[in-house]
Amino acid sequence: MSGSASVLTNGVLLDAADVSKSVQGPEGRLDILTSVSLQVREGESFAIVGASGSGKTTLLGLLAGLDTPSSGHIALDGHPLERMDEEARADLRRRLVGFVFQSFHLLPALTAEENVMLPLELEGRDDARARAREALDAVELTARRRHYPAQLSGGEQQRVAIARAFVHGPRLLFADEPTGNLDQRTGQHVSDLMFALNHDHRTTLVLVTHDPRLAARCARQVTLDSGRVVAPSRASTAVAP
Amino acid sequence: MKLLALSLRSLRREWHLPELRTLGASLVLAVVALGVVATLSTRMERGVLASAAELIGGDVGISAPQALPATYAQQAAQRGLQVTQGASFPSVAFAHEQSQLLDVLATDGNYPLRGTLEIHQAEHGNAVGHGPPAGTVYLDHRALVALSLKVGDTVQVGGRDLRIGAELIRQPDGGELVAMAPRALMNIADAEQAGLLGVGSRARHRLLVAGSPNEAQEWRQWVQSQTLPQGAELITPEQTQERMRSAFDRASAFLRLTALLSALLAGVAIAMAAQRYARRKTNEVALLRALGTPRRQVLGLLTGTLGLLAIPAVTLGALVALLLAQITWGFASQMFSGVPTTMPLGPAAAAAVMGLAVLAGFSLPPLVRLAEVPPVAVFRESTARRVRRFDALYLVPALVALLLIWSQSGSAKLAGILAVSLLGVAVVAALLSALLLWIARRVAPGAHPALRLGLAALARRRSMSLLQATALSLGLVALLLLAIVAPALLEGWRRELPADTPNWFVLNLQTDQRAGFEQTLAEIGGQKLNMLPLAVGKLTAINGRPIDQLTFKDERAKDWVDRQLRLSWASELPPSNEVIAGQWQGEHPAQAEVSIDTMWRDLFALKVGDTMRFNVGEGSIEARVSSIRKVDWTSFRVNFFLVFDPAHASTLPHTWIASFYLPRGHTEALAKLSRDYSNLSLIDVDAMLDRVREIVAQVSGAVRWVLGFSLLAGALVLAAALAASAQERRHEAALLRTLGARRSQLRAAAACEFALLGLVAGLTAAFGAAGTGLWLGHAIFHIEHFVPPLGSLLLAALAAAAVVMMLGLAGTSRVSRTSPMRLLRES
Repeated sequence: MSGSASVLTNGVLLDAADVSKSVQGPEGRLDILTSVSLQVREGESFAIVGASGSGKTTLLGLLAGLDTPSSGHIALDGHPLERMDEEARADLRRRLVGFVFQSFHLLPALTAEENVMLPLELEGRDDARARAREALDAVELTARRRHYPAQLSGGEQQRVAIARAFVHGPRLLFADEPTGNLDQRTGQHVSDLMFALNHDHRTTLVLVTHDPRLAARCARQVTLDSGRVVAPSRASTAVAP
Repeated sequence: MKLLALSLRSLRREWHLPELRTLGASLVLAVVALGVVATLSTRMERGVLASAAELIGGDVGISAPQALPATYAQQAAQRGLQVTQGASFPSVAFAHEQSQLLDVLATDGNYPLRGTLEIHQAEHGNAVGHGPPAGTVYLDHRALVALSLKVGDTVQVGGRDLRIGAELIRQPDGGELVAMAPRALMNIADAEQAGLLGVGSRARHRLLVAGSPNEAQEWRQWVQSQTLPQGAELITPEQTQERMRSAFDRASAFLRLTALLSALLAGVAIAMAAQRYARRKTNEVALLRALGTPRRQVLGLLTGTLGLLAIPAVTLGALVALLLAQITWGFASQMFSGVPTTMPLGPAAAAAVMGLAVLAGFSLPPLVRLAEVPPVAVFRESTARRVRRFDALYLVPALVALLLIWSQSGSAKLAGILAVSLLGVAVVAALLSALLLWIARRVAPGAHPALRLGLAALARRRSMSLLQATALSLGLVALLLLAIVAPALLEGWRRELPADTPNWFVLNLQTDQRAGFEQTLAEIGGQKLNMLPLAVGKLTAINGRPIDQLTFKDERAKDWVDRQLRLSWASELPPSNEVIAGQWQGEHPAQAEVSIDTMWRDLFALKVGDTMRFNVGEGSIEARVSSIRKVDWTSFRVNFFLVFDPAHASTLPHTWIASFYLPRGHTEALAKLSRDYSNLSLIDVDAMLDRVREIVAQVSGAVRWVLGFSLLAGALVLAAALAASAQERRHEAALLRTLGARRSQLRAAAACEFALLGLVAGLTAAFGAAGTGLWLGHAIFHIEHFVPPLGSLLLAALAAAAVVMMLGLAGTSRVSRTSPMRLLRES
């Protein structure tokens, strides 16, 4: 933990060093990520871009602690993820992380409000409902809080997902193709909302997308190709091996 | 053909799907449960009826106080029937300076025509035989003991010395349970030569015939068209069957009930599996429709796939049913020894058809709706899941269930009780679950986080929770009915035949012998002595009109008019009798009164206030019908169709009939009683009771099989319910894990969720089972004062909550291990 304190002094919230991920496929070992290193500072927005199958989503999963790397080192808020078990990583996610997915991933049996309440219920907060209403208000969906996902449009569902992502005040937001399932206009509206909330809450944003315009709205970006970093970001904090 | 090939290919691709396996297993189970019970039931009924013929030693016969004219035997022979003639009478046997009154049956070599005569000879051991040859007698164990004899010795009967050819082990009984102790079997020629059958003897002659059912029936009708000699009576298996059938009917209704509940539970599992199968196939069907496949062809493909799965499943079910029935019969058949009963194949085939009906009824609605998925659903999934507020198609399973209940119970009343009970439980379960969910909303904010999550999970899947609780309740109510209420019912019923049920009847006891007999009986350990006066008379008039001028709709009426009737009197209503019309007679009514049994009411269309005249000995009595009684003839007490008031009837010439209980192993004491009171006829009802108890025991054994099926069916329902929500749960778990939920949080929440679900289902089922048990006990089993075992039911409800929780946890253990990466992969 002493090492993580020094990282934080530099303002680095997420630090990945020489991260590789491989799986055993029917035709032998398959390398999905090879020696990826990057750093994300607190409060900044960071885009991971690349074509389909380039390893973007796998990298996002590793950075968020949803999976562990085959080799390399990832520290989230100074906590070495590869040394933590799934339970400890879950604790960390609950406290620090919010998610927005391409397919929204709202629970179909829950109303919009109940979906937003989920992260707060996991923390055992008594004010879950009141805070969920505030979050829905922030995404301009107060009127639809009792609607079920099937009764909402794609854009509305993603706004509910954004409310859910911000409701417990995470320090880091992971977004996986947040506008991938939306038309251009709705996508624009949703991304505006996400960046505005990110700014207001001073949240760190890690965004996976293949949309260059969305990536361009981030302070920095890195490009993946076949599991390798091929184009470092403008700030050059991500380096190719 | 193309459709068949497509269906076959589809089944080959999909047979490993858990829902199709659940469906197949449920179908096999339903057919096995229905098949075993129906096969055993039919075979046992045949056995019961056949063994009734065994009990009288022939298919039908005549008993008369004097030798019957030869015409009766000739008429039987002309019809190709076998004939045996005999006579039974009491006779005193002498040996070693001892004497013993014997109940002798003198018979020819044809005896018995039905059933088996079992004898024991020192050199051959136990053997099956026929009537003894001339010069020989067979004595039973009691006779041998009483006279200190053994096989091979000589005994004097009717003044003739006869060699004891064998020990009599078992013989088909006399028509009217008349089995004076001890017994002897001799040749009829010896009896005639000894003058035992001459004029003035106490012999009761009988002629029994046996053969093909049609010819026997024809002869019976011919006999009924004749004027029988004075005092002659027809001996029919029905008289004997009456009691056995009564015991059998209740047992068999119980068996059918258990099988039916298993089949319906399997139906619930089938419905859930079909629902899940339909959901899984939605996208595929939408694609097929989009590619231009007509709706009819889609439906054909779906039903074809299930049909191809069903054929081997029901065949397997029927074969397993036959196998299990054969194994069970191996244990049960001892009670019908010597009675040929072939394995009926029809019931198993019918069970297979019923299995198909269950499959069709319970799986068709979701499949039909699946075939209606519009092609546009390939673009917009929500259009495929349009839920109708009311879908009449879902009444089909209810209709199939009703038809099955009706066809299996054979009784609209039983079907009604079951259907209403199950519906009641379903409604109560749904209401209770709704109430719990409402409470969940109220208490959730202040509850423990795990409980709150569990409650929230129930509340979130509101309709699913309601459905699950209702299905579980129905399954549990069936299990509780079988596991707790049914044994209590059976026990209650068995208690009606307690171990100390009178096992001996005594006939011909004279008034001056009563005190002495009572004392002797007490000395040898007889208990529960119950004495009733017995007069013998004939019905001569009803409402002043001579009986021979009256006609009655019921054919049996003529038999009873010809008969010597047994009449009795009592000041108090006898036990196991219930007055259902009129009033029980007072001790000193102004006019003679008689209380009649419901059968007499029906036979002669009698009502309270009618008058009946009887000739008894030299005198007669005219009595007003004061009440109509319902008599429990299965109680094995001494009961009478006609009971007079004592004030007017006690002057009639009469003897006494007594019943008492004597523990087994008192043969020698009975021999003494027999010697001391040589005029008495002792009737052994132990044999009959044994047979009834044996049937009950065998049936209970068979029920345990069926109970096993129901437990399995219940487990299938739970598995189907869990499988139905598995995908949603996995998705939910992955999301919650991504949002930071600990595994222990998910497990605790699931534990709370299933425990609550089990508690609601268990409590609802406990009350439902108690209510249904009360109803069944009263309406079907006729058990008075049946109290459902509430304590056990409530414990069972708690156990159900624990079991549902554990099964739920086991069924969702993989869910809590779902990797959060699943979400990203699904994107």
